[in-house]
Amino acid sequence: MADPYKNTPPAPEDKGAMTAENLAAALAGESQASQKYLAFADVADAEGYPNVARLFRAVAYAESTHARNHLSVLGGIGTTAENLKAAWGGETFEIDEMYPAYDAVAKLQENKSAQTSISYALKAEMDHQGIYDSTLKGVEGQKDLDETPVYVCPICGHTVVGGKAPAYCTQCGTTAEFFKEF
Amino acid sequence: MDEAFEKRLPKPEDLNAMTEECLKAAFAGESQAAEKYMVFAEQAAEEGFPNIAKLFRAVSFAETRHARNHLRVMKGVNSTADNLAAAFGGESFEIDEMYPAYGEIAKVQNNTQASRSIRYAVKAEMDHKWMYSEARDKALNGQDIDTKPVSVCLICGHTVIGDVPDKCPVCAAAKEYYKTF
Repeated sequence: MADPYKNTPPAPEDKGAMTAENLAAALAGESQASQKYLAFADVADAEGYPNVARLFRAVAYAESTHARNHLSVLGGIGTTAENLKAAWGGETFEIDEMYPAYDAVAKLQENKSAQTSISYALKAEMDHQGIYDSTLKGVEGQKDLDETPVYVCPICGHTVVGGKAPAYCTQCGTTAEFFKEF
Repeated sequence: MDEAFEKRLPKPEDLNAMTEECLKAAFAGESQAAEKYMVFAEQAAEEGFPNIAKLFRAVSFAETRHARNHLRVMKGVNSTADNLAAAFGGESFEIDEMYPAYGEIAKVQNNTQASRSIRYAVKAEMDHKWMYSEARDKALNGQDIDTKPVSVCLICGHTVIGDVPDKCPVCAAAKEYYKTF
Protein backbone atom coordinates (compact mmCIF):
# COMPACT_ATOMS: atom_id res chain seq x y z
CA MET A 1 0.00 0.00 0.00
CA ALA A 2 1.24 3.46 -0.82
CA ASP A 3 2.54 5.45 2.15
CA PRO A 4 0.09 8.36 2.57
CA TYR A 5 2.93 10.47 3.98
CA LYS A 6 5.30 9.80 1.11
CA ASN A 7 5.88 12.78 -1.09
CA THR A 8 8.05 13.65 -4.05
CA PRO A 9 9.43 16.95 -5.33
CA PRO A 10 7.36 18.89 -7.90
CA ALA A 11 7.70 17.37 -11.37
CA PRO A 12 8.66 18.82 -14.78
CA GLU A 13 5.71 20.31 -16.71
CA ASP A 14 5.02 22.38 -19.85
CA LYS A 15 5.09 25.95 -18.63
CA GLY A 16 4.00 29.34 -19.82
CA ALA A 17 7.03 31.44 -20.81
CA MET A 18 6.45 33.90 -17.94
CA THR A 19 6.25 31.10 -15.39
CA ALA A 20 9.45 29.57 -16.75
CA GLU A 21 11.19 32.94 -16.42
CA ASN A 22 9.95 33.35 -12.88
CA LEU A 23 11.14 29.91 -11.85
CA ALA A 24 14.55 30.62 -13.36
CA ALA A 25 14.72 33.83 -11.29
CA ALA A 26 13.57 31.95 -8.18
CA LEU A 27 16.24 29.28 -8.77
CA ALA A 28 18.85 32.06 -8.91
CA GLY A 29 17.46 33.64 -5.72
CA GLU A 30 17.30 30.41 -3.72
CA SER A 31 20.80 29.37 -4.84
CA GLN A 32 22.27 32.69 -3.77
CA ALA A 33 20.41 32.65 -0.44
CA SER A 34 21.77 29.17 0.26
CA GLN A 35 25.35 30.25 -0.51
CA LYS A 36 25.06 33.41 1.58
CA TYR A 37 23.77 31.47 4.57
CA LEU A 38 26.69 29.02 4.35
CA ALA A 39 29.15 31.95 4.37
CA PHE A 40 27.20 33.54 7.25
CA ALA A 41 27.41 30.24 9.19
CA ASP A 42 31.23 30.37 9.07
CA VAL A 43 31.17 33.92 10.45
CA ALA A 44 28.76 32.91 13.24
CA ASP A 45 31.12 30.06 14.21
CA ALA A 46 34.10 32.42 14.23
CA GLU A 47 32.21 34.91 16.42
CA GLY A 48 31.24 32.20 18.97
CA TYR A 49 27.60 31.64 17.94
CA PRO A 50 27.64 27.87 17.16
CA ASN A 51 23.84 27.58 17.31
CA VAL A 52 23.23 30.51 14.98
CA ALA A 53 25.77 28.82 12.68
CA ARG A 54 23.68 25.64 12.84
CA LEU A 55 20.50 27.60 12.07
CA PHE A 56 22.17 29.19 9.01
CA ARG A 57 23.28 25.74 7.76
CA ALA A 58 19.80 24.28 8.26
CA VAL A 59 18.13 27.16 6.42
CA ALA A 60 20.75 26.95 3.64
CA TYR A 61 19.70 23.32 3.25
CA ALA A 62 16.03 24.36 3.10
CA GLU A 63 16.86 26.84 0.32
CA SER A 64 18.67 24.02 -1.51
CA THR A 65 15.47 21.95 -1.47
CA HIS A 66 13.64 24.91 -3.05
CA ALA A 67 16.36 25.33 -5.67
CA ARG A 68 16.06 21.60 -6.47
CA ASN A 69 12.26 21.81 -6.72
CA HIS A 70 12.38 24.79 -9.10
CA LEU A 71 15.11 23.08 -11.17
CA SER A 72 12.98 19.94 -11.34
CA VAL A 73 9.90 21.84 -12.61
CA LEU A 74 12.15 23.60 -15.13
CA GLY A 75 13.19 20.16 -16.47
CA GLY A 76 16.81 20.80 -15.48
CA ILE A 77 17.47 17.38 -13.95
CA GLY A 78 18.43 14.78 -16.55
CA THR A 79 20.32 11.51 -16.60
CA THR A 80 23.90 11.59 -15.31
CA ALA A 81 25.24 11.70 -18.87
CA GLU A 82 22.97 14.69 -19.64
CA ASN A 83 23.87 16.34 -16.34
CA LEU A 84 27.59 15.99 -17.09
CA LYS A 85 27.05 17.59 -20.50
CA ALA A 86 25.12 20.47 -18.94
CA ALA A 87 27.82 20.91 -16.28
CA TRP A 88 30.57 20.85 -18.94
CA GLY A 89 28.64 23.46 -20.94
CA GLY A 90 28.34 25.76 -17.93
CA GLU A 91 32.05 25.52 -17.13
CA THR A 92 32.93 26.13 -20.78
CA PHE A 93 30.82 29.30 -20.92
CA GLU A 94 32.51 30.61 -17.77
CA ILE A 95 35.98 29.84 -19.13
CA ASP A 96 35.49 31.09 -22.70
CA GLU A 97 33.27 34.09 -22.13
CA MET A 98 32.13 35.10 -18.68
CA TYR A 99 35.29 35.26 -16.61
CA PRO A 100 37.59 36.67 -19.33
CA ALA A 101 35.05 39.49 -19.91
CA TYR A 102 34.68 40.20 -16.18
CA ASP A 103 38.44 40.04 -15.68
CA ALA A 104 38.98 42.65 -18.42
CA VAL A 105 36.52 45.01 -16.68
CA ALA A 106 38.10 44.47 -13.23
CA LYS A 107 41.57 45.11 -14.70
CA LEU A 108 40.41 48.26 -16.47
CA GLN A 109 38.91 49.50 -13.21
CA GLU A 110 41.95 48.36 -11.16
CA ASN A 111 39.81 46.41 -8.69
CA LYS A 112 42.48 44.08 -7.31
CA SER A 113 40.48 41.85 -4.96
CA ALA A 114 37.89 41.36 -7.68
CA GLN A 115 40.66 40.23 -10.05
CA THR A 116 41.90 37.72 -7.48
CA SER A 117 38.40 36.33 -6.93
CA ILE A 118 37.82 36.06 -10.68
CA SER A 119 41.17 34.42 -11.44
CA TYR A 120 40.74 31.85 -8.63
CA ALA A 121 37.37 30.88 -10.10
CA LEU A 122 38.49 30.82 -13.73
CA LYS A 123 41.43 28.49 -13.03
CA ALA A 124 39.29 26.05 -11.04
CA GLU A 125 36.63 25.99 -13.79
CA MET A 126 39.37 24.77 -16.12
CA ASP A 127 39.99 21.83 -13.76
CA HIS A 128 36.26 21.09 -13.72
CA GLN A 129 35.85 21.28 -17.48
CA GLY A 130 38.58 18.65 -18.00
CA ILE A 131 37.28 16.39 -15.23
CA TYR A 132 33.68 16.51 -16.51
CA ASP A 133 34.85 15.79 -20.05
CA SER A 134 36.76 12.62 -19.12
CA THR A 135 34.00 11.53 -16.72
CA LEU A 136 31.37 11.86 -19.45
CA LYS A 137 33.40 9.58 -21.74
CA GLY A 138 33.34 6.93 -19.00
CA VAL A 139 29.59 7.25 -18.41
CA GLU A 140 28.87 6.89 -22.12
CA GLY A 141 30.43 3.41 -21.69
CA GLN A 142 28.40 2.84 -18.47
CA LYS A 143 31.55 3.32 -16.37
CA ASP A 144 31.69 5.10 -13.01
CA LEU A 145 34.73 7.20 -12.09
CA ASP A 146 37.55 5.35 -10.31
CA GLU A 147 37.24 5.25 -6.55
CA THR A 148 39.92 7.88 -5.98
CA PRO A 149 39.83 10.88 -3.64
CA VAL A 150 38.89 14.32 -4.95
CA TYR A 151 40.65 17.27 -3.28
CA VAL A 152 39.37 20.84 -3.24
CA CYS A 153 41.28 23.93 -2.05
CA PRO A 154 38.96 25.81 0.36
CA ILE A 155 40.48 29.15 -0.61
CA CYS A 156 40.36 29.12 -4.41
CA GLY A 157 38.43 25.96 -5.33
CA HIS A 158 41.34 24.30 -7.20
CA THR A 159 40.20 20.69 -7.76
CA VAL A 160 42.41 17.60 -8.09
CA VAL A 161 41.27 14.02 -8.77
CA GLY A 162 43.34 11.12 -7.45
CA GLY A 163 46.71 10.75 -5.71
CA LYS A 164 47.52 12.70 -2.55
CA ALA A 165 46.53 16.24 -1.70
CA PRO A 166 49.17 18.51 -3.26
CA ALA A 167 51.77 19.90 -0.82
CA TYR A 168 50.45 23.35 -1.63
CA CYS A 169 47.79 24.72 -3.95
CA THR A 170 49.26 25.43 -7.38
CA GLN A 171 46.75 28.26 -7.89
CA CYS A 172 46.79 30.18 -4.60
CA GLY A 173 49.66 28.70 -2.53
CA THR A 174 47.50 27.32 0.29
CA THR A 175 49.15 24.35 2.06
CA ALA A 176 47.99 20.71 1.95
CA GLU A 177 46.30 20.57 5.36
CA PHE A 178 43.64 23.03 4.23
CA PHE A 179 42.52 20.89 1.29
CA LYS A 180 39.14 19.23 1.74
CA GLU A 181 38.98 15.59 0.65
CA PHE A 182 35.87 14.01 -0.86
CA MET B 1 38.19 30.52 10.41
CA ASP B 2 41.71 31.11 11.69
CA GLU B 3 43.77 34.13 10.79
CA ALA B 4 46.18 32.40 8.42
CA PHE B 5 43.21 31.09 6.46
CA GLU B 6 41.36 34.40 6.50
CA LYS B 7 44.46 36.22 5.23
CA ARG B 8 44.52 34.20 2.03
CA LEU B 9 40.97 35.01 0.96
CA PRO B 10 40.21 37.84 -1.49
CA LYS B 11 39.44 40.94 0.59
CA PRO B 12 36.46 43.28 0.65
CA GLU B 13 37.12 46.16 -1.73
CA ASP B 14 35.58 49.47 -2.84
CA LEU B 15 34.35 48.39 -6.25
CA ASN B 16 33.56 50.36 -9.36
CA ALA B 17 29.96 49.91 -10.48
CA MET B 18 30.72 47.79 -13.56
CA THR B 19 33.09 45.45 -11.71
CA GLU B 20 30.49 45.10 -8.97
CA GLU B 21 27.88 44.13 -11.56
CA CYS B 22 30.24 41.51 -12.95
CA LEU B 23 30.86 40.02 -9.52
CA LYS B 24 27.14 39.99 -8.74
CA ALA B 25 26.47 38.02 -11.91
CA ALA B 26 29.38 35.69 -11.14
CA PHE B 27 28.04 35.15 -7.61
CA ALA B 28 24.64 34.23 -9.09
CA GLY B 29 26.30 31.82 -11.54
CA GLU B 30 28.51 30.09 -8.97
CA SER B 31 25.61 29.75 -6.52
CA GLN B 32 23.41 28.08 -9.12
CA ALA B 33 26.22 25.79 -10.28
CA ALA B 34 26.80 24.68 -6.67
CA GLU B 35 23.11 23.85 -6.21
CA LYS B 36 22.79 22.07 -9.55
CA TYR B 37 25.83 19.89 -8.88
CA MET B 38 24.37 18.75 -5.53
CA VAL B 39 21.19 17.69 -7.34
CA PHE B 40 23.24 16.01 -10.08
CA ALA B 41 25.14 14.14 -7.32
CA GLU B 42 21.89 12.62 -6.03
CA GLN B 43 20.93 11.61 -9.57
CA ALA B 44 24.35 9.96 -10.12
CA ALA B 45 24.02 8.04 -6.83
CA GLU B 46 20.58 6.78 -7.89
CA GLU B 47 21.96 5.61 -11.25
CA GLY B 48 24.72 3.61 -9.51
CA PHE B 49 27.62 6.01 -10.09
CA PRO B 50 28.77 6.66 -6.48
CA ASN B 51 32.12 8.11 -7.53
CA ILE B 52 30.57 10.55 -10.00
CA ALA B 53 28.21 11.53 -7.17
CA LYS B 54 31.28 12.26 -5.05
CA LEU B 55 32.86 14.26 -7.88
CA PHE B 56 29.72 16.42 -8.21
CA ARG B 57 29.74 17.07 -4.45
CA ALA B 58 33.43 18.04 -4.55
CA VAL B 59 32.99 20.41 -7.48
CA SER B 60 29.89 21.86 -5.83
CA PHE B 61 32.08 22.64 -2.81
CA ALA B 62 34.62 24.35 -5.12
CA GLU B 63 31.82 26.54 -6.53
CA THR B 64 30.74 27.47 -2.99
CA ARG B 65 34.33 28.70 -2.41
CA HIS B 66 34.02 30.95 -5.48
CA ALA B 67 30.60 32.20 -4.39
CA ARG B 68 31.98 33.04 -0.94
CA ASN B 69 35.03 34.80 -2.44
CA HIS B 70 32.90 36.96 -4.74
CA LEU B 71 30.49 37.77 -1.90
CA ARG B 72 33.36 38.81 0.40
CA VAL B 73 34.86 41.12 -2.20
CA MET B 74 31.41 42.76 -2.59
CA LYS B 75 31.33 43.32 1.22
CA GLY B 76 28.41 40.91 1.55
CA VAL B 77 29.87 39.05 4.55
CA ASN B 78 29.66 41.06 7.78
CA SER B 79 29.07 40.56 11.51
CA THR B 80 26.51 37.92 12.50
CA ALA B 81 24.00 40.56 13.66
CA ASP B 82 24.28 42.30 10.27
CA ASN B 83 24.18 38.99 8.39
CA LEU B 84 20.97 38.06 10.22
CA ALA B 85 19.45 41.42 9.26
CA ALA B 86 20.40 40.85 5.60
CA ALA B 87 18.97 37.32 5.72
CA PHE B 88 15.74 38.63 7.29
CA GLY B 89 15.48 41.24 4.52
CA GLY B 90 15.90 38.64 1.79
CA GLU B 91 13.24 36.35 3.28
CA SER B 92 10.84 39.30 3.69
CA PHE B 93 11.21 40.29 0.04
CA GLU B 94 10.48 36.73 -1.09
CA ILE B 95 7.41 36.48 1.18
CA ASP B 96 5.97 39.95 0.55
CA GLU B 97 6.73 40.41 -3.13
CA MET B 98 8.57 37.81 -5.13
CA TYR B 99 6.69 34.58 -4.47
CA PRO B 100 3.17 36.11 -4.32
CA ALA B 101 3.79 37.66 -7.77
CA TYR B 102 5.24 34.42 -9.19
CA GLY B 103 2.40 32.43 -7.59
CA GLU B 104 -0.26 34.59 -9.29
CA ILE B 105 1.33 34.17 -12.71
CA ALA B 106 1.71 30.39 -12.31
CA LYS B 107 -2.02 30.24 -11.39
CA VAL B 108 -3.06 32.32 -14.41
CA GLN B 109 -1.00 30.00 -16.60
CA ASN B 110 -2.39 26.83 -14.94
CA ASN B 111 1.11 25.56 -14.18
CA THR B 112 0.31 23.31 -11.20
CA GLN B 113 3.80 21.94 -10.54
CA ALA B 114 5.26 25.44 -10.64
CA SER B 115 2.53 26.56 -8.21
CA ARG B 116 3.50 23.75 -5.88
CA SER B 117 7.21 24.56 -6.05
CA ILE B 118 6.44 28.22 -5.31
CA ARG B 119 4.02 27.43 -2.45
CA TYR B 120 6.53 25.10 -0.77
CA ALA B 121 9.16 27.83 -0.91
CA VAL B 122 7.04 30.71 0.37
CA LYS B 123 5.75 28.65 3.33
CA ALA B 124 9.28 27.79 4.42
CA GLU B 125 10.52 31.38 4.00
CA MET B 126 7.90 32.36 6.60
CA ASP B 127 9.52 29.96 9.08
CA HIS B 128 12.95 31.38 8.30
CA LYS B 129 11.87 35.00 8.65
CA TRP B 130 10.86 34.78 12.30
CA MET B 131 13.78 32.49 13.19
CA TYR B 132 16.17 35.08 11.83
CA SER B 133 14.31 37.86 13.58
CA GLU B 134 14.60 36.12 16.98
CA ALA B 135 18.23 35.19 16.40
CA ARG B 136 19.08 38.79 15.52
CA ASP B 137 17.52 40.13 18.74
CA LYS B 138 19.76 37.75 20.68
CA ALA B 139 22.90 38.44 18.64
CA LEU B 140 22.49 42.18 19.24
CA ASN B 141 22.83 41.35 22.96
CA GLY B 142 25.83 39.12 22.29
CA GLN B 143 23.74 35.95 22.88
CA ASP B 144 23.65 32.74 20.85
CA ILE B 145 20.28 31.01 20.20
CA ASP B 146 19.63 27.82 22.23
CA THR B 147 20.83 24.34 21.39
CA LYS B 148 17.51 22.82 20.22
CA PRO B 149 17.73 20.82 16.97
CA VAL B 150 16.72 22.52 13.73
CA SER B 151 15.06 20.14 11.25
CA VAL B 152 14.27 20.61 7.57
CA CYS B 153 11.79 18.69 5.37
CA LEU B 154 13.78 17.47 2.40
CA ILE B 155 10.79 17.71 0.08
CA CYS B 156 9.53 21.26 0.72
CA GLY B 157 12.10 22.87 3.04
CA HIS B 158 9.69 23.29 5.99
CA THR B 159 11.92 24.27 8.90
CA VAL B 160 11.18 23.56 12.55
CA ILE B 161 13.09 24.24 15.77
CA GLY B 162 12.60 21.50 18.40
CA ASP B 163 10.40 18.39 17.90
CA VAL B 164 9.82 17.08 14.38
CA PRO B 165 6.10 16.68 13.51
CA ASP B 166 4.74 13.22 12.49
CA LYS B 167 4.11 14.62 9.04
CA CYS B 168 5.13 17.83 7.37
CA PRO B 169 2.34 20.44 7.81
CA VAL B 170 3.16 21.91 4.38
CA CYS B 171 3.65 18.92 2.06
CA ALA B 172 2.58 15.95 4.26
CA ALA B 173 5.91 14.10 3.92
CA ALA B 174 6.52 11.64 6.80
CA LYS B 175 8.84 12.32 9.75
CA GLU B 176 11.69 10.29 8.20
CA TYR B 177 11.96 12.90 5.45
CA TYR B 178 13.31 15.50 7.87
CA LYS B 179 17.02 16.23 8.09
CA THR B 180 18.18 17.43 11.52
CA PHE B 181 20.96 19.97 12.09
